[in-house]
Amino acid sequence: MTDETVHETHAVDHGSNGNGEDGRLFGVLAEYDTPGELVEAARKVRDAGYTEFDCYSPFPVHGIDEAMGIKRTILPVLVFGGGATGTLGGLLLQWWCNAYNWPWNISGKPVWSIPANVPIAFETTILLSVFTSFFGMWILNKLPQVWHPFFRNERFNQVTDDAFLLGIEARDRRFDADATPALLKEAGALKVDSVHYDPDPATARMPKWITAFIVASTAFALIPFAIAAKARTSHSTEPHIHIFPDMDFQPKYKSDQAMDLFADGRENRGELAGTVARGSLNADDLFYRGLEAGQWSTGFPKQLEINDALVKRGKNRFEIYCSPCHGYDGRGAGAVPQRVAAGGGAWQARNLVDASNPVVINMPNGQLFNTISNGYNTMMGYAAQIPHADRWAIVLYVRALQRSQNASLDDIPSDHRNGMQMPEAPSR
Amino acid sequence: MSALQKSLHPAEKYKAGKLGVSLQKIGLGIAVVFLALSLVLGATHGDHWKRFLYSYVIAWAYIFSICVGVFWLVMLHHLVRGRWATVVRRIAESMSMAFPIVFVAGLGFVIPLVAGYQDLYYWAHPDAALCLEKVAAGCGEYLHPTLVHKLGWLSPGFFAGRYVVYGVLYTVMARYFTKKSREQDDSGDPQISERLRVASGPAMIVYALITCFAAFDILMSMAPKWYSTIYGVNFWGSACVGGFSALALMVLGIQRTGRLTHSINQEHYHDIGKWMFAFTFFWAYTAFSQFMLQWYGNMPEETVWYKYRLFGEWQWVSIAILVGFWAFPFVFLMSRWTKRIVPSLVLFAVWQLVFHWLDLYWNVMPSYDWIASFHDGAQIVAGPLTGSPAYHHVGFSALDITVWIGLIGVLLAGFGKNLHGNLIPVKDPTLGLSLAHENL
Repeated sequence: MTDETVHETHAVDHGSNGNGEDGRLFGVLAEYDTPGELVEAARKVRDAGYTEFDCYSPFPVHGIDEAMGIKRTILPVLVFGGGATGTLGGLLLQWWCNAYNWPWNISGKPVWSIPANVPIAFETTILLSVFTSFFGMWILNKLPQVWHPFFRNERFNQVTDDAFLLGIEARDRRFDADATPALLKEAGALKVDSVHYDPDPATARMPKWITAFIVASTAFALIPFAIAAKARTSHSTEPHIHIFPDMDFQPKYKSDQAMDLFADGRENRGELAGTVARGSLNADDLFYRGLEAGQWSTGFPKQLEINDALVKRGKNRFEIYCSPCHGYDGRGAGAVPQRVAAGGGAWQARNLVDASNPVVINMPNGQLFNTISNGYNTMMGYAAQIPHADRWAIVLYVRALQRSQNASLDDIPSDHRNGMQMPEAPSR
Repeated sequence: MSALQKSLHPAEKYKAGKLGVSLQKIGLGIAVVFLALSLVLGATHGDHWKRFLYSYVIAWAYIFSICVGVFWLVMLHHLVRGRWATVVRRIAESMSMAFPIVFVAGLGFVIPLVAGYQDLYYWAHPDAALCLEKVAAGCGEYLHPTLVHKLGWLSPGFFAGRYVVYGVLYTVMARYFTKKSREQDDSGDPQISERLRVASGPAMIVYALITCFAAFDILMSMAPKWYSTIYGVNFWGSACVGGFSALALMVLGIQRTGRLTHSINQEHYHDIGKWMFAFTFFWAYTAFSQFMLQWYGNMPEETVWYKYRLFGEWQWVSIAILVGFWAFPFVFLMSRWTKRIVPSLVLFAVWQLVFHWLDLYWNVMPSYDWIASFHDGAQIVAGPLTGSPAYHHVGFSALDITVWIGLIGVLLAGFGKNLHGNLIPVKDPTLGLSLAHENL
């Protein structure tokens, strides 16, 4: 190809579509052998005062932006702005949702708390940074260009493979039909082609099917929003749409359903007379039910060793299962009553340690155990959550609470009282 | 003009000459003066060397972490077949070869521990073992029962054994990478690069494990009942901030002597700066991950560590670290130009090296105050992180500074000892690419 001469600008060249017709001159396209030569040529073109030119290569070429005289992109500044918007937007979103529009007391936690908001703000920062970076790159590069006159040149098809091209557009004020190709040739071009617009102006427009696709997909994307908007303002007597009816209505029986198969019409099968299910014997009335000779027991089952460890265990379980309503001190003002009070209501859980109205203090251990197991008034039973031994540990801890909450200094042995003082400040 | 490859500038001074010996002398001088001063201060401090040893552990963790940081670059460079760092890799190798000296210096706190010193690590205190019997009887008030299960792992003998294992493994790995690299200077055998790449994978795994466990043993066990599985990663992030900052300063120092002035340029400083920036954020990311999960989970055995850092005097140190070690450097180093203009990069290298120390100080010193509690009428040392945060003072001591500078002297001597021969891997196959390196 090196022996080819510069084409006459108005001659039919290798860059046309082959139909032999050409429109107005768009520019010239020069091919170079190596990235290094391309950089050198770009430098010469820039030094000659051209501005409307670009380089095309299969991979980023180091130093080409400097050689072409391209200013550094402002993209990083835009990305910083995008990221900062993401941070502030993420914080604002959470403040609006959690602290302003719908404040909701969750376990007494503050409705607005920066540490909890950091992960979301971090994600929105990343999201908007990346969006700005990605879309900013396309927009600043004026991409996508679905059509360009250089596409008519056959060597341009190789620009993602092995071609290093430099194109100067005819609209550059220094462009000259003779001098410009000569400059490119002098800079070591293997070949310089003139590239013309297609004579048919329709090729420069976006194909109709792409326009149709964009319009159709945009309209389609609005459908879910339209459905949601309609649902906000209208009522329907129709049942749900079942997308997977065989999952919604499975051919199986759940507990306590009717069934034709058995004579009693019930789906449940009870225990056979004279049998006990594995692990359900629970013959020990005291341990499993808190009963002793048919009365509530006032002692503890002999299986349990009453010691400090059991009290600690009871404290641990009490604080998990009981304190939300009864409070850590057992006085009935836990997080749930506080939540009720915050909502304007008035409800207290039972005060377990009240000496002025000692209902619970006077309750036998067995009855306390039974209350934990099966519930009382609005309190549900905890048999499913707390094993029997732990229920007894809670009873023990409630007894300890009742004593400690009503204790005076005299209840503490004199040789232990010094431990009740605050520790001394450490010496340094 | 850009080119993919360049060859070494003919006028380049790439021989270390007397540089290493001078640095060694300077380092030893600093070490002798400041450690002697520290010994005097420590002996007169009136707390049976406790403050001295705490300062010593912090300063030792500091010099150790810098070796950990630069050695990571050496292995990573081989692992990913890196190019830009070939011109600074020999300097990083020489710095990582300070590992043996650093681990000898660490005997300064390991030997007292093995000899029966009780006041440095609470798990070495007899009252920690006493609680083994008393946990059921109420010592759990102050000591979470998990400590009971840790006392086997955290015993002075086993601790010292692991310390030796870490030291040997770091030394063996650093020596291997450095020795092979220097062999290539003579033979020019490109197969050596291949062999180092094969070795770098397993080495990275061993490195990750021992760095993590060293952080658990030496720093995290300062608060023995507390635990965080990300602690080692967080330490490593901080270590790499320190390592890359130290590398930037070292490269600048060597260039100031007229060496490597043609080979290492703005492009390489820029890449070191990128790593400083990346690890500044990585450290903050892991530190926040650790904090947020424990803060949100709100379990006493986890939040206790933060209780003594977010309340009382320590909250101001926490805020200083948040702003000084993360927010300010993060925003400042974000720009391309602050990393490419060498004085600004160096300013931040020094800045981050100071805050890296403060971060280690903040990790260790809240455990310094041990409070006694009463049990059955007898006094029991309940260990670190007990009592009211209001009693826990920051209380910087002159010892913190003198021991720190003294051990930096040891580190410099360690760098100097290995700074000989060629200062760049002259026959590395990627050297040409590294010399021609340009950031897009």
